[in-house]
Amino acid sequence: MGIIEKSRKKSPWIIHYDCTSCNGCDIETLACLTPMYDVERFGIVNVGNPKHADVLVVTGSVNKKNVRVLKNIYDQMPDPKAVVAVGACACTGGVFKECYNIIGGVENVLPVDVYVPGCCPRPEAIMDGIVMALEKMNEKAKVKKK
Amino acid sequence: MTSILNLQNIITIIVAIVAAPIIGGFLSGVDRIISARMQNRYGPPILQPFYDFFKLLGKERITVNQTQMVYVLGHLFFSIVCIVMLVLKQDLLMIIFVLAFSSVSLIMGAMSVRSPYSKIGAQRELIQMMAYEPVLLLMVVGIYMTNKSFMISSIFENDRPLLFTLPLVFLTFIYVLTIKLRKSPFDFSTSHHGHQELIKGLTTEFSGPQLAIIELTHWYDLVLLLSLISLFFAKPIWVGIIIALVCYFLEMLIDNISARITWKLMLKLTWVIGIGAAMTNIIWLYLK
Amino acid sequence: MELKLLAVAILLPAVSAILCYIFRKAPVRNIIVVVTALIMFAVAGEFVKLLFDNGGKITIELRDFAAMSTELVIKILDFLLFIYFIFIGVRLKKPLIVGLTFLQLIPLLIFEILIRPKEVEQAFIIDYLSLIMILLVSIIGPIITIFAIGYMKEHEHHLHLKKSKQPRFFVILFVFLGSMNALVMTNNLMWLYFFWEVTTLCSFLLISHDGNKESVKNATRALLLNMLGGVGFILGIIIIYKVKETLALDQIARVESLADFGTIFPIGIGLLCFAGFTKSAQFPFQSWLLGAMVAPTPVSALLHSSTMVKAGVYLIVRLAPAYYGTTLGKVIAIVGGFTFLAGSAIAISQSNGKRVLAYSTIANLGLIVCCAGLGNPVALGAAILLIIFHAVSKGLLFLCVGTIEQGIGSRDIEDMQGLMKRMPFTAVITVIGMISMLLPPFGVLISKWLAIEASVERSPVVLILTILGSAFTVVFWAKWIGIILTMSYKTKIQGEKLSLSIRTALSILFIAVLACSVSVAPIFNKLILPHIINLQIVGDQYIEGINGGLWINGGVVGGFGIVYLFAVVFIVMLLVPIFMNKAKPETMKTPYLCGENTSDTRGIEFISPGDKIDHVIVRNYYLSGVFGESNLTLWTNLIAGAIILIMFGVVI
Ligand code: SF4
Repeated sequence: MGIIEKSRKKSPWIIHYDCTSCNGCDIETLACLTPMYDVERFGIVNVGNPKHADVLVVTGSVNKKNVRVLKNIYDQMPDPKAVVAVGACACTGGVFKECYNIIGGVENVLPVDVYVPGCCPRPEAIMDGIVMALEKMNEKAKVKKK
Repeated sequence: MTSILNLQNIITIIVAIVAAPIIGGFLSGVDRIISARMQNRYGPPILQPFYDFFKLLGKERITVNQTQMVYVLGHLFFSIVCIVMLVLKQDLLMIIFVLAFSSVSLIMGAMSVRSPYSKIGAQRELIQMMAYEPVLLLMVVGIYMTNKSFMISSIFENDRPLLFTLPLVFLTFIYVLTIKLRKSPFDFSTSHHGHQELIKGLTTEFSGPQLAIIELTHWYDLVLLLSLISLFFAKPIWVGIIIALVCYFLEMLIDNISARITWKLMLKLTWVIGIGAAMTNIIWLYLK
Repeated sequence: MELKLLAVAILLPAVSAILCYIFRKAPVRNIIVVVTALIMFAVAGEFVKLLFDNGGKITIELRDFAAMSTELVIKILDFLLFIYFIFIGVRLKKPLIVGLTFLQLIPLLIFEILIRPKEVEQAFIIDYLSLIMILLVSIIGPIITIFAIGYMKEHEHHLHLKKSKQPRFFVILFVFLGSMNALVMTNNLMWLYFFWEVTTLCSFLLISHDGNKESVKNATRALLLNMLGGVGFILGIIIIYKVKETLALDQIARVESLADFGTIFPIGIGLLCFAGFTKSAQFPFQSWLLGAMVAPTPVSALLHSSTMVKAGVYLIVRLAPAYYGTTLGKVIAIVGGFTFLAGSAIAISQSNGKRVLAYSTIANLGLIVCCAGLGNPVALGAAILLIIFHAVSKGLLFLCVGTIEQGIGSRDIEDMQGLMKRMPFTAVITVIGMISMLLPPFGVLISKWLAIEASVERSPVVLILTILGSAFTVVFWAKWIGIILTMSYKTKIQGEKLSLSIRTALSILFIAVLACSVSVAPIFNKLILPHIINLQIVGDQYIEGINGGLWINGGVVGGFGIVYLFAVVFIVMLLVPIFMNKAKPETMKTPYLCGENTSDTRGIEFISPGDKIDHVIVRNYYLSGVFGESNLTLWTNLIAGAIILIMFGVVI
């Protein structure tokens, strides 16, 4: 494993986008940053800027209004990148699934790498999801190289 | 002055260019751990800045316009020139000007894109420059007043540490160091990990390798500024280094206990307190 | 030989002026302009050669008939000039102009008739300082006139004039250049005074060239302020003659004059410097130079770079040895330093490109005056260096802004966004011109650096003024450069249509800027150092150019020697990205707009609330609450006025 691959696994910077979440998942995501869970132990930093981010963490289901923004943010992230869908809503649409304005889970719009189920998922699960996304990111980078 | 480029100097230059970022990287690793501990967290591994750096290098090269890389490289190269001039013990005043060049280059890069965030960040960075530049120049003047020379080499010839003649200048220098390192409360042009201001302000539109280079430059600058601190106690140099490290710790402390202020307040504070104190010090040196 | 050369340098422009007046057809005029320019270049070159052959000083004595007739001609012209001033005053219904004319005319008459000054035998002396000025006038001046060929055509096209006023314009331009050349060569204070007034008149005529209300008003202001200086000048001459019994500049402006400081001599010097302040638009006299912006661009370029304002600082620098080390010198330094600070501060709040340039000129002139006031060898060196570098860079910048103005129809900085796309050639040159005003290793910064190093020893007040001013300069230039450099990814660069004359003028000056900066050490060693040595000023510090850099006391006190390193870094900085992009192009992404980008790749459009498409508009900070012109002008004028009063208080 080269130094870049190793670094990639050690320094995932995330951008957190809240689609149509009920805010439950957001609170849990932010809880990861608190001293209690301290994701910076794994080098995870929450950056607010897609151009610096490696992992897009999406909470909530996608609706017709914000799908454009979600896509734009994903587009502006440099490769290699990964998408983590956090919470039942982000995975499938969840309780909002049948609403008139909802498209569904994130997978309908973006290629999701890791699904973190739960309503809302525990911070441990979210962290686990992000770390799993890193493995996939390296794989993607390798595939792209070939 | 005729033979600056002899073998010994070339070796020093190479060592400095290689060693400075390594030291700088470690120091920012320590910074992140200590900050984390102050916030009651565990914190990242000490090598974290290097991981970040290499990860960024491995990312896709994206850009908003094709000229950005030029400015970023300018930012890096002129910081390296500063370090080289420092180890060659050249004119301190010129070092400050070249350092300004390095900052201006980054500002140009940030202004060259049509992005509101990076543009406003750049404007704020300019205001920061306007605030700290006079104080840095006054520091150099103070050093001249003591040694009757602008050359760094003269500092090493003087047995009496500068700190004794320039206590106020030293304090203001630590003060502008906070601005220069973009630490809270003066982190309004761009901010460090875990904070956000104007998205990422100045660096919003730089990503991947470009950001890596900016990070690298930051390490060079860190080393440069800390060595300027240690110049205040140049003999024996290890005392100076300890003082520099203590100051750096102080910076972290300030960073963690203060909230961001507005640029207007910063300008006022820096000019009134910073320039005022430094000038007081210099005037008493005149009268002596 | 010398005499012939001298005659050519002064009279050739006058002859060309007459020719321009006779042959009113544009093609003929263009040929006259180009030929005159070439001859002036050649004359300047000859002067360089001659001066070096003669060991740094050419003295030209006019004898018997020649002396008599020249003297007579100048006297007659002098009186004609005043009559014309009165005529202007009457025509414009400005009693003040008439009053100021009489204030000059009466002392002049008393002086000429009652006191009858002794003639100066060595009528013309050319030393290194004169040579530098001659080079600036006869190289930059003609380039600007060449530029004017293309510019004035466009200009009149815009104005829809029925009858071209160009012949008049070029006539005055040439007279201006000739009198500038004479002004820097003459050794007779009375003659200097005459040429001084000629430049005043020329600037009046040029500023009012367009003939509309605003330009006449501003030209009148310029005339008034400069005539105020003229009054100071003639009084100063009389006082100095009383003490020194001579009008020879080389007798007055030397270190030995310091012995006369017990008498009224310093008042005379102070008055001459006062005249210099008005001419080089020091605060509180800055308003005329700002008003001069209404004139066509070649005029402002000429006024700001090599002529007019440089005449003022020339006089002050020339007199520097006579007040070196005195309190008078210190106050002069403070006047200059204050102008530097105030000019730079107000420039921050300006969004009109030409006004920014004007304030920057005022500030730089202030720095020159400041250095002259400090007067030690290092400071004088810095002053002369700055005269050179500022003239070249500012000449270039004014021409650039003029070209941009014709290209985009605005001189507002904010409108220059995306200039890289519309006018790539001009934009690149403009940016490099601006960089040469503020960053190392270009000359202006080097002189600023020397100025700070020189003021450290001598005056803490000046020190803080220069340091703050230098921090402000960075801000307003950087803002402007940033705007010009703004561009989107791979925009289609459109070629711009520039006339040949504009293109040539810009290129020559651009090359001159680069050449001067690279060869700062030889320029200093060959031209400036010998001048300072000749002045025999005592000072424990000196500058010398070694290995392509400048060093104070051979590097013991300070120095800067990495000019070439900078060149290498610049090239690497440009080449690396180009090669990287050749190997593997970068991916284009739109700027971050909170994800609300539209399909527009430039990043100008975004989707605002209500799904409307809006434009991103970002303006620079102008900090007008702090540095606004209206806030500062009154106070700075009051303070500057007070400092000048202090100056006279000190000498009296
Ligand atoms: S998954 Fe549950 S907690 Fe999360 S956004 Fe949906 S409803 Fe809220």
